[in-house]
Amino acid sequence: MNTVLSRANSLFAFSLSVMAALTFGCFITTAFKDRRVPVSKVMLKNVDDFTGPRERSDLGFITFDLSADLQPIFDWNVKQLFLYLSAEYATKSNALNQVVLWDKIVLRGENPKLNLRDMKSKYFFFDDGNGLRANKNITLTLSWNVVGILPLVVGSGQVSLPFPDMYETTKSY
Amino acid sequence: MLSIFKSIPTHMDYKGQKLAEQIFQGIILFSAVIGFIYGLIIQQFGWTVYIVLGGFTVACVLTLPPWPMYRKTPLSWQPALPETSGETSQKPQESLKKKKHK
Repeated sequence: MNTVLSRANSLFAFSLSVMAALTFGCFITTAFKDRRVPVSKVMLKNVDDFTGPRERSDLGFITFDLSADLQPIFDWNVKQLFLYLSAEYATKSNALNQVVLWDKIVLRGENPKLNLRDMKSKYFFFDDGNGLRANKNITLTLSWNVVGILPLVVGSGQVSLPFPDMYETTKSY
Repeated sequence: MLSIFKSIPTHMDYKGQKLAEQIFQGIILFSAVIGFIYGLIIQQFGWTVYIVLGGFTVACVLTLPPWPMYRKTPLSWQPALPETSGETSQKPQESLKKKKHK
């Protein structure tokens, strides 16, 4: 500690250790919180169905409305939220199918109230087989992953709204 | 160029080094506690970082330059013995080493 450089060295190293401890403290205060989000509706507008190009599987089209208030999730540990909308259903050939239809990244600082209308799905809603036709019960689930300031996913949660599908027929070309 | 920086005296005596270390540790811990509580209240970690950085600069200003308060108890060196043989010049070395290990 006799020279400026050695004093600066120990000062800087001590500050970094203190910062690491503070970051851990921030993580500890919010890691075990139960995060819930009120989602008012996810509504299916219309669904067409036709067989896909390759193995003639079912392809669904969905447009939806989504309104959610995400403000309670954002605390000081949250850097961004990764939201995704998935459809869950059962078919004759597979007991459980989950298909991600749409996702969105919500950064801290952006408007946390979502009010989306007439959203089209981002990804194709292909079924493995022909299970979508006449499927009576497809559940749309909005899930989210919380990315905190420590590079670990802090938590996740979901809200699930069941929506019975209409009776669909395949269109042939 | 470097010789200019090397010629500026930056030493502190031992009590002064201990005082400097206590000062900067105290300042940084204090600003860390303040920053943590403030960030917890307003739920933004950015402010915690800013407050700790502010504490860091204050600690830099207070402890990096060799202020006179760190030089209040200088070491009292033994008077230099004339260099007659190798053994007589060992004695001030040994008394020097004893003082360092205190």
